[in-house]
Amino acid sequence: MIAETSGSALSTSIGFFVKTGSRDESHELWGASHFLEHMVFKGTPEFSGDEINARFDRMGASINAFTSEEDTVYYATVLPDQQHEAVDLLARMMRPALRESDFDTEKLVILEEIRMYDDQPPFGADDRCRAAFFGGHPLARSVLGTVDSIQALPVAAMRDYHRRRYAPGTIVLAASGAVDFAALVESARRLCSEWEPAPAASRLIPEPPREPAVRATERIVRPSAALDYAVRMVAGPGEQHPDRHAARLLSLLLGDASGSRLYWALIDTGAAEQAACIHQDYLDAGLFVTQLSCDSADVDELLARIVEIYGAAAGGGIEQAEFERAQNKLASRVVLSGEKPRRRLFDVGLEWSHLGVYRSVADNLGIVESLSLDDIRRVLATWPLDGPAASVIAGSGTGG
Amino acid sequence: MKQTLHSTTLDNGITLVGERLPDLESVAIAFHCPAGAVHDPQGQCGLATLAGEMCLRGAGDRDSRQIVEDLESAGVILSQGVSTTHMSFSGAMVARHLPDVLPIYADLLRRPRLPDEEFSGARQMILQNLAGIEDDPAHRTVAMLRRIHCPTPWGMPTEGITTDVEGIDIGHVRTFVARHVQPRGMIISIAGRIDWDDFASRIGRLFGDWSPGTASPVATGPRGPFVAHVPHDSQQTHIALGWSVPPYRDDASHEATAALAILGGGMSSRLFTEVRERRGLCYSVSAGYQTHRDFANALCYSGTSAERAQETLDVMLAEIERLPGTITAEELERVKARAKSGLVMQQESSGARAGAIARQWYHLGTIRTLADELARYDQLSVPAVESWLAAQPPRDLSVVSLGREPLEVSPAISA
Repeated sequence: MIAETSGSALSTSIGFFVKTGSRDESHELWGASHFLEHMVFKGTPEFSGDEINARFDRMGASINAFTSEEDTVYYATVLPDQQHEAVDLLARMMRPALRESDFDTEKLVILEEIRMYDDQPPFGADDRCRAAFFGGHPLARSVLGTVDSIQALPVAAMRDYHRRRYAPGTIVLAASGAVDFAALVESARRLCSEWEPAPAASRLIPEPPREPAVRATERIVRPSAALDYAVRMVAGPGEQHPDRHAARLLSLLLGDASGSRLYWALIDTGAAEQAACIHQDYLDAGLFVTQLSCDSADVDELLARIVEIYGAAAGGGIEQAEFERAQNKLASRVVLSGEKPRRRLFDVGLEWSHLGVYRSVADNLGIVESLSLDDIRRVLATWPLDGPAASVIAGSGTGG
Repeated sequence: MKQTLHSTTLDNGITLVGERLPDLESVAIAFHCPAGAVHDPQGQCGLATLAGEMCLRGAGDRDSRQIVEDLESAGVILSQGVSTTHMSFSGAMVARHLPDVLPIYADLLRRPRLPDEEFSGARQMILQNLAGIEDDPAHRTVAMLRRIHCPTPWGMPTEGITTDVEGIDIGHVRTFVARHVQPRGMIISIAGRIDWDDFASRIGRLFGDWSPGTASPVATGPRGPFVAHVPHDSQQTHIALGWSVPPYRDDASHEATAALAILGGGMSSRLFTEVRERRGLCYSVSAGYQTHRDFANALCYSGTSAERAQETLDVMLAEIERLPGTITAEELERVKARAKSGLVMQQESSGARAGAIARQWYHLGTIRTLADELARYDQLSVPAVESWLAAQPPRDLSVVSLGREPLEVSPAISA
């Protein structure tokens, strides 16, 4: 358990952070983590799904959940007088009923979610690119699964997955904002201490690749697409690497939505609809992800131009003033996002769950302020953004 | 909870509204100019949006790049957008930077250069955005609903129409900015760690000598057809439904928004329960409320596989029709609890408060205290909501589908 309490906060955010995600699935369980996240809302032995929904609404709770490659997180934000109720219900949900009739109905919702994303940009290019980069590594699997993998999943397999992956040792209870910590500990003791321990869940982590498994550019054809959507991935520092903070600053400098190198070259000029560079980190692997959307006829040329921009940055072309602007931008975001209890819940909960460390907003600000241009240069030299990449382009297939 | 709210109006018509939130480090500021898309001339849909983009591309002594660099050096998270009614420039920052950045905002509004050499990039940027929207089925569905339901020009797409934007030149932009970017009717809102007197005097120095300009009335025309289908090659069919409800400044808007929240506002709402939880018909389904100053509409949305879309539409319509006469006290209590905790949590965000007090000023000409807002929710009762529903049941629905095939819409629900 971890909590960051604030005397001035008006709300309390509570989250159960379960250390399980798509990288922990076998091929037969592909999509089970995310499907299970939905099933957790469908009822406990004592409550139906309708009752859970009604209880959260009655608390005035803002409640949601997400599943990623490495985490499944359930969170609620409530007024402080509802802390007990919210923790109580969330904790009970961690032991869901997983009834077969609910499972069959919710399967239809998951299939609709898969179709919804498949109809939207980037039309699966992000999942396909991750698969091309990670090859046989478990990080290659998409979070949602596929229509086939979801249709084939039996409820018994989900029950077994839940028993193995939702053991007490793989769950962190985190809170932020106006938290009564003593009451939180008491709630957890009462509600969670009976949970049956399971053997430490192995995450079966083979060494992630540092270079893409597939280098040829793949194409996904959507005849009706108005634009082309390109996703390009190269290796970057992972979560446990000291350069992850510098990597984030570098991605802002190169590819933030405003004021970055890609912005001035491609967005300001109207050459592309979107051109972004994002640093994504996992437990033991990292990526620099480039996202480009533009006219089909321009996509190959613009991707090449982006790689040139990366090359020029690595070739010593970053000035101190440009670095400082990106540093100010990042520092400002740390301060502003630090004001939001919900946002602090994610930062505090995920860092504690993954790394076993706690960092305050002031600590994070200190890290940003301690970065130097040399750190950025080192990242560029260690992880060449113009180096070997996995690339996928989705679009009408009419240009290029 | 004690609140510190401020408002004042300058001689030239600019209104300043503010709220001090002393526990925050940040301030959020927004300049809302009455230069929204409703002023786009016929055949130039997207002119306001293009003009807003051009205002960022050089103003006062700074060129386009210097504006962005100076704001970013102060750690300002800048955004610019055009709604139906307003062209807005906003920013969030650590409070101590505010005095340095106010003159930049004054330049954007009062001294935009609107240079020839920036125009083609700006127009191309707007056209790229329009192409991206072509690939966003949910956005297109809701945009079409607004377009057929609202009287012209209130439902026109703020982002523009491709063929119209292609025909706009820099002269049109200069004319639009000169005519509409003006103090009369402008709202400057600020929330967070502020010193109101200092802020108001700085705004007075930067904007006080700007002459008011002239009002630009909007000629409101007829609404569109009640049913529309947008052909689109997708696995899912998207559905949007709308009907008229009282605007925010009408006291009955509380009953209306409560009824809509019961219909589709939370996880225990009727649409979520019946369409998603009970039948697994969709991933997303909701009902909401969209208001202008003089009229408002309910909006329901869902997206689902083509072969299940007719059933989804039918269930949505049945729930809408079932609403009058069936509201329970338990449902209303849940809606009140969600609304009230949302209001309190808004006080944690400078950006949310700056937005909320500006909206209130525009719609009501005043700022309501949190205590007043909470009291309004306390007064809501089942008989009040029911009597409003009995007087104004959902009728004359506008229906939009987007997908491979149109859906069947019974003539009974639509005018």
